[in-house]
Amino acid sequence: MTMSISTSTVDPLLLETIEAMLADLCQPEKVGAAEGGLDPVLWKALTESGMSTVGVAESAGGSGGTLRDAAAIAKAAGRHAAPVPLTELSLIGGWVCEQAGLALPSGPVAVVIGDGTRTYWAPVAESFVVVTEAGVALVDRADATLGRAGVNYAGEPWADVSVAGTTGPPSLVAGPSPAMVRARGALARSLLMAGALQQAAELSVQYCNEREQFGRPIGKFQVLQQYLAQMAGEAAAAEAAADNAVDVVAALAAAAGAGAARGPAAAGEAIRIIAAAKTVTGRAVGTINRLAHQIHGAIGYTDEHRLQYTTRRLWSWRDEHGTEAEWAATLGRSLAAAGGAALWTAITAWPPAATATATG
Amino acid sequence: MANRLTFPDAALPASTQEIRARVRTFLQDELAKGSFTPRVDTWLSGHDAAFSAKLGAEGFLGLTYPKQYGGQERSALDRFVVVEELLATGAPIAAHWIAERQSGPSILKYGNDALREEIVPGIAAGEIYFSIGMSEPDSGSDLASIRSTARKVDGGWVVNGTKVWTSQAHNNQYFIVLVRTTPASESSGRHNGMSQFVLDLRAPGVQIRPIRLLSGHHHFNEVVMTDVFVADYMLLGVEGNGWSQVIGELAYERSGPERILSTYPLLAALVDAVGPDPSAEAAAELGTLVARMAALRRLCISVAMSLDAGRSPVTEAALVKDLGTQLEGEIPEVARRLVAPGHNEAFDQLVADSVLSAPGFTLRGGTNEILRGIVARELGVR
Repeated sequence: MTMSISTSTVDPLLLETIEAMLADLCQPEKVGAAEGGLDPVLWKALTESGMSTVGVAESAGGSGGTLRDAAAIAKAAGRHAAPVPLTELSLIGGWVCEQAGLALPSGPVAVVIGDGTRTYWAPVAESFVVVTEAGVALVDRADATLGRAGVNYAGEPWADVSVAGTTGPPSLVAGPSPAMVRARGALARSLLMAGALQQAAELSVQYCNEREQFGRPIGKFQVLQQYLAQMAGEAAAAEAAADNAVDVVAALAAAAGAGAARGPAAAGEAIRIIAAAKTVTGRAVGTINRLAHQIHGAIGYTDEHRLQYTTRRLWSWRDEHGTEAEWAATLGRSLAAAGGAALWTAITAWPPAATATATG
Repeated sequence: MANRLTFPDAALPASTQEIRARVRTFLQDELAKGSFTPRVDTWLSGHDAAFSAKLGAEGFLGLTYPKQYGGQERSALDRFVVVEELLATGAPIAAHWIAERQSGPSILKYGNDALREEIVPGIAAGEIYFSIGMSEPDSGSDLASIRSTARKVDGGWVVNGTKVWTSQAHNNQYFIVLVRTTPASESSGRHNGMSQFVLDLRAPGVQIRPIRLLSGHHHFNEVVMTDVFVADYMLLGVEGNGWSQVIGELAYERSGPERILSTYPLLAALVDAVGPDPSAEAAAELGTLVARMAALRRLCISVAMSLDAGRSPVTEAALVKDLGTQLEGEIPEVARRLVAPGHNEAFDQLVADSVLSAPGFTLRGGTNEILRGIVARELGVR
């Protein structure tokens, strides 16, 4: 049911399983009812099936599987507007725990980066993965203080979090830097957006075939056909950008595992390709949401139609963990510093050649 | 809705790294020797027979062709890598471009033995060049409305009609011409009754007149064919089957790296022109272009891999060309906003050439509106 999907190295059974689970548990009324919090039934299903920790090594308490597997699940979650903090555990918090040798929490987590301002999903988290310049820690909900709180455009909750409260500062262990974790967050949002962008495009195709005006389906009008093709293009480009990031990050991790340097060069490369992903996916939201709503007319602008569960998430996710303007500037500065002669070498490393990703 | 658009995983095989390194070294040597100046849009405008012959001698052309016709029987992905390196460097590759990309493969697929032996080794050597003989004065996007004809005579065919927008016809030896061999009124459908021939552009009865571009450059021509004799063995494939032969080539014609990289040399120059410490705004504009290019290149590789695996991703190729050609046009728009004219002569030249070439990017090889129509049909709304 998707316009474009990169599945050849992801277990088809895994995809079928997650698709079936989300199709069953993410009906629009359920997505709507979960606003302000999370859907406990869906969260339980994802946890009990192990889907919530795919991509985290079994030795670290996760379900195992590759980053690509986790990415495919994140895209599916984005497509279905899954009202749960899935990527906070699978792609961001779980990754920090694995890197730092911390025990993987079983319940929902939120990732507190730096001073904890606007920590996504904090109000429903049972524990916090705390990331500071000095190190990382796992902090129980009881040991943290929540301040100012709110929800994003889609009703996904956030709060300011302080972890230096009653029991004093947590004991820190070495782990990924706040900049790297924020990039990981941007990668997660890029994948969620890649899935949701496809959904917005697909809902628009369906509507063009169902809605009749002037005695025929509106999809018969060339202007709307052009819109749909543009949306399909933007959705494909967005997914390609996110997939590039997954492949490069996986290749860098595989190289580090094989003994290559894990230094600033590898970190810089990961940040550059994630910056590219967040830039392309974030920009696609502007085009696709505008066209999706234009196509759907007034009904798509109401809370009765399911389109809004997708478009409100997209408007939120493009802002979270850095806007496309910020990430584009990060990428541009890095490229400018390296000079024009280095540009082609950079571009041809994305996606990496086949052998480099074989173990990713 | 069915799963109609598919972009399988993209990762160039590790085996392509050897030829990438080889072509890079060759190009750096040529640049050091001063044998060319990097330009934009060189696959259409950089006609340099000596350079094409050099590429042929180095074994960078006809990589995928059979060995018996001067090829090397290598993967289409090896060719992808060579081509993108040539484009990114801004090397003059227009002379052999059409011949090597599509005429050679068409002749190999549809031509008879005599035609293959006469022409294909010359293409692989970078010595025989082709133009495209499709559009006519009254047939652009609606290609099936062509009126040029070929009439059967003893030992061959007599061709009459006019082709336009024929790039480099004044420099190239041949084109593959699409003509009606059965009048539309007598065909069972408007897509039937067309045939393709290899036609010698220096044959008696061929008149080539320049059509200058708005830049003043001479790439385009009008080719008028008056009772031009074409021998039987120059017929490509089956008489009357020309339309499906043309359509089958479109995935190759539309998905290549030339549909995203035509203005790449300007993008690389822009990186230097904004300097090592650009403003946040300039950095963001630059980052946006490169992020987009990396994403589209992945789609391009995906389509190339589909083709290499024997599939026919015509719709996916149309989608990538729509996106890629827009990016090609966006690069000069950003470049001129960030770096005012007078920065340096070479940069100004790249900007000027890009601005003045840009209208063609979203027209040639199928307009973007036509491409989106193809995508929309596949999405199931037509």
